[in-house]
Amino acid sequence: MNGSSGWRRIAMSQEMILAVILAGLLAVASWLMPRFLEWQGQLNLSRQLWETALISMGMTLVIIAGGIDLSVGAIMGLCAIAFGICHQFTESVGWASAACLLTGIGCGACNGGLIAATGVHPLIVTLATMAAFRGMAEGISQGESYSRFGEDFARVFASQGPFGIAVGGWITVTLAIVLAVVLSQTRWGRYLRAVGGNERAAQFAGVPVERLKFTLYLGMGLLSACATLIYVARFDTAKADAGRGMELEVITAVVLGGTSVFGGSGQIRGTVLGLLLIHETRLFASRYWRIDELRQIVIGCLLIGAVAAYQAVRKSKV
Amino acid sequence: MNPLPVLRIDRLGKRYGATLALHDVTLDVAPGEVHALCGENGAGKSTLIKILAGVVRPDSGTITVCGRPLRGGDVGASERAGIAVMHQQPAVFPDLDAIDNLFVGHELTRCAGLWLDRPAMRRRAETTLAALGETFPVDIPVGDLSLAQRQMTALARALRRNCRLLILDEPTASLSARETAALHAAIDKLRQQNVAVLYVSHRLEELFTIASRVTVLRDGARVLTCPLAAIDRAGLIQAMVGRAADGQNFDPTRSSDAVRPTPTRSPAMLRVEQLGREPAFHDVTFSVAKGEIVGMAGLIGAGRSEIARAVFGIDRYDSGSVFVDGQRLSGASVREAVQAGIALVPEDRHREGLLGSLAIDENISLAQLPRLSSWGFIRRRRERTVVGEQIRQLSIKLGAPSAPVQTLSGGNQQKVVLGRWLSTAPRILILDEPTRGVDVGAKAQIHAWIRRLADQGMAILLISSELPELLSLCDRIVVLRQGRVAGEFDHDDATAAKVMSRALPDSDRGKPP
Amino acid sequence: MTRHDPGNVPGSDSGSDSGRDSGCDSGQDTRSASSSPGRMLYPARSTWRSPAGAREFGLALLLAGIVGVVGFCDPVFLSGVVWRDILVRCAPAIIVSCGVMIVVVLGEIDISVGSMMALLAALLGKTISSHELQWSSWAGIPLVLLSGAAIGCVTGVVVTVGRVPSIIASLGMLTLLRGFATLAMGGKNIDGLPDAVVQASKTGWLGVPIGPWTALLVVLATYFLLTRTAIGVRIYATGSHSDSAGYAGLPVRGLRVFAFCYAGFLTAVATVVDVPRLPKIEAGIGNELELFVITSVVLGGVSISGGRGRLSGVVLAVVLLTLVRPVLTFLNVGESAEKWTKAIHGLFILLAVISDRFSATMDQRRES
Repeated sequence: MNGSSGWRRIAMSQEMILAVILAGLLAVASWLMPRFLEWQGQLNLSRQLWETALISMGMTLVIIAGGIDLSVGAIMGLCAIAFGICHQFTESVGWASAACLLTGIGCGACNGGLIAATGVHPLIVTLATMAAFRGMAEGISQGESYSRFGEDFARVFASQGPFGIAVGGWITVTLAIVLAVVLSQTRWGRYLRAVGGNERAAQFAGVPVERLKFTLYLGMGLLSACATLIYVARFDTAKADAGRGMELEVITAVVLGGTSVFGGSGQIRGTVLGLLLIHETRLFASRYWRIDELRQIVIGCLLIGAVAAYQAVRKSKV
Repeated sequence: MNPLPVLRIDRLGKRYGATLALHDVTLDVAPGEVHALCGENGAGKSTLIKILAGVVRPDSGTITVCGRPLRGGDVGASERAGIAVMHQQPAVFPDLDAIDNLFVGHELTRCAGLWLDRPAMRRRAETTLAALGETFPVDIPVGDLSLAQRQMTALARALRRNCRLLILDEPTASLSARETAALHAAIDKLRQQNVAVLYVSHRLEELFTIASRVTVLRDGARVLTCPLAAIDRAGLIQAMVGRAADGQNFDPTRSSDAVRPTPTRSPAMLRVEQLGREPAFHDVTFSVAKGEIVGMAGLIGAGRSEIARAVFGIDRYDSGSVFVDGQRLSGASVREAVQAGIALVPEDRHREGLLGSLAIDENISLAQLPRLSSWGFIRRRRERTVVGEQIRQLSIKLGAPSAPVQTLSGGNQQKVVLGRWLSTAPRILILDEPTRGVDVGAKAQIHAWIRRLADQGMAILLISSELPELLSLCDRIVVLRQGRVAGEFDHDDATAAKVMSRALPDSDRGKPP
Repeated sequence: MTRHDPGNVPGSDSGSDSGRDSGCDSGQDTRSASSSPGRMLYPARSTWRSPAGAREFGLALLLAGIVGVVGFCDPVFLSGVVWRDILVRCAPAIIVSCGVMIVVVLGEIDISVGSMMALLAALLGKTISSHELQWSSWAGIPLVLLSGAAIGCVTGVVVTVGRVPSIIASLGMLTLLRGFATLAMGGKNIDGLPDAVVQASKTGWLGVPIGPWTALLVVLATYFLLTRTAIGVRIYATGSHSDSAGYAGLPVRGLRVFAFCYAGFLTAVATVVDVPRLPKIEAGIGNELELFVITSVVLGGVSISGGRGRLSGVVLAVVLLTLVRPVLTFLNVGESAEKWTKAIHGLFILLAVISDRFSATMDQRRES
């Protein structure tokens, strides 16, 4: 078997499975609801998508490198509180946004520093920081919520850009393209796959493992902060429970997209497909079934089914 | 009188796709016999072992154990028939203690299988270990024991399971001489209990000590079975390799008319002064000059790999300094060492060398990526050139450069790691056990390469546990013992006996090497 | 979570056995000297080991210290009423943790226990509540217990047969079960559970509700299972090195399904003994239970990579974590302080893990 096309075949197969599922869903949906695929309708719920999508892009890289970040939702909560409090004191959205971003960077640095310096498993570190950050958000805010950030702010992120996609959406799309390029064309992309595949050997090969890890988690913190800005703009509220459940949604999207939880391989385009699948399911569930719970059930089944299928494919190829 | 053979293999065959891994192999092992199995990598030894273990099903042929046919492809059946396999890394459970390791799967219980009978298990465990001549604490996690002790645990488990055929796959590759002797003594005890032993090893000298008969496999077929008394080392190699070799893996007489600066007069390219890190090594001083091959000998645990890693910047050190061409290194990072011109080919190529998630070409170019990219973007054409050059120069046999690295044989995998570092054009090359687990043909190639690199002016530090290798290749040999430099020999002075005696700890001094 | 990458099943190499070594995995490697993961959920085992019992000792010390200090400041803290309340609160977590602990020791993980509890609570309510189906408790409760075991089995089968990594499988189940639970509740709350059941949950016997009694029973049973039975040894063995376990002929798949099944069953037990004492069954039950349980298991010294861990540590960890809120109340730091509970939980894990790492480095330096 020719090795190279074998690799490509695996990648294609997993994405093929995903694409088929997606196509199937869209076909069924538009058959049951003829106007399902209409652009405007698609966009209506798309606004919920961008925060998850933004973070998912970063999480893809983290998982490829063999790590994980469970604290992204909690970071969102803390950033939201930082935003709210700063806004309360300065009445300025600019300063508040800066506070939000700085908080995200700080949290990310915390994660990155702990993981790189102590060598403790990222699952455990981010489990701890998830509790810590969320706890801090709850403790500082004492359950209060902040709002009334002004029309302008809401417009910045929630307004329509070209094609009717919100500004937040364009940010996400740009990020996706940038990260996809980084992953496939630059040496850092290769370093990520190396570290994810065999960290010790990567160290021996001169890959700057510690620096890479730190940067990754720092980036995740920053992305979570950006997502918080979009979130806060959308709801015009900043509360400690912002981003609750985000980490699970993000991991679902990334894994659905074919990225292996073991690390070492993965594609941004897979994550994009995974996000699309989740989005379309949500859309369909809210329109046709009008029951949100069915969406959850479908996504749970999809996740299990898709990954089982990927594993079967992987086993048959190797 | 011909006793019933414990194992009889008749015309065994196994095909993997287009490759014939085993073809028409016939073999038998008598009770109480230690039967050696040799062959180059790829000759079919591991396939044979896997079939006997029940991990793989043969395509043709029969296996009979003590007169009864064995069902292929069934691990349980092989176990029940009394076949036990011990690999180089013994398959033990590191978190369980020795008692549990011996009994897991066949625990002693009271009350219809519910209540574990720990006192009884403990007694039996200690008895079994004593029968092998070993005593070590049976109630600490086995992962905390040494490799030799873990092997003894695996042996004890095999013994407890009433094994009839014990298959040992390269058991002594990582053992010290003393531990090897202990293992051989244990095997001897098993032999006296009429256990049949199939012993696979690349260390040909060992086979003459421990085994009575030998079977040589080549390209999947059995080419020779004979008593070890009737053959010599050269004959074995010839059978394995299929062509007349020098009788040794390398040319002991190097070209004496090579034009090279006499190493001792050259300034040191690499100088290590009083390097120390408790408790691994202390006060280590040595140097390697341009074009010189310096060997580092010593027992396992003497600290050689640790020193290499410290020099390379992977591990820290507490005291001392490292100088490259007169410049002091801070030892902070691998990148600094690489930029200074040091390269390290690590000991364990699976865990420390190769990256399974990357393809062959990506593995080769990994250390060089900063040089091969501009603004972070990898220049593919440059990469292809560099990679192609290494593949050609080292004669790496592969399907396609973009194939996954697992498809290569052991020798070729080693060449990939070597190629990765050679492409950085280092001034100092540190090789840690470069020919371990590599077949005779590739080994000779690597040796030739090492010599050629030195001739071209590279300073080479060669860490090896194979004395013949060190004795023939090196201009000087530094001997390490328990973390300290115990001696240094020039090529002309060095003999195996001298080096060994320096390497052994005091309590073993005076014992024959 | 062990590295049970199906692609690495030895002997299944369909490629040519041209003498290649046993593969450099793209996945996990065993026993690598590098501590944490090149892979995320399937870390290479570290070579260090802290002395046995160190974690339990530390936890017990911390617990005793906290109780001592708070008891000194406010003796009411040491009263029976307070402790009865604390025991009742931690009972369900202890019960579920016993099950999840076995799963983690085996090398897997189960994050779906919270959603499972929600669904089982809904099932319990729907069957035996006087406003719903009004079944007899003798029918409803066994049904719930059986369902818990069944759901656990499903997860186990997905992991073994589907070869889905357990974190993903349980993530999928978590989403799925939460959906079912919310659906079953239909947006309403359920109350009106039969008196006998409610009374057992609230008052019980000898002044202690059924929750803590059951927790005690479950802890004893799990302890017996782990330390005195063959299954216990095999579970630790499989978690320690699942490949060797396969070669040793251990029924690895069966053990995995058993572990998930046990965890599901215990979740059902916890539901049955704890939910009735709440004023009503809501859809949010079990929210973040999995977080609490995993935190306890990790804090209790169970290794995420499997093969190591003691039940005593886990129980101590649950009690310690449960104590945080009441302690904050008793210290009269004000109502606001309670909101810091979660932050303190996070701090505990970090301290525990970092101190482990620190002591291990010291050990490495001390011995040769």
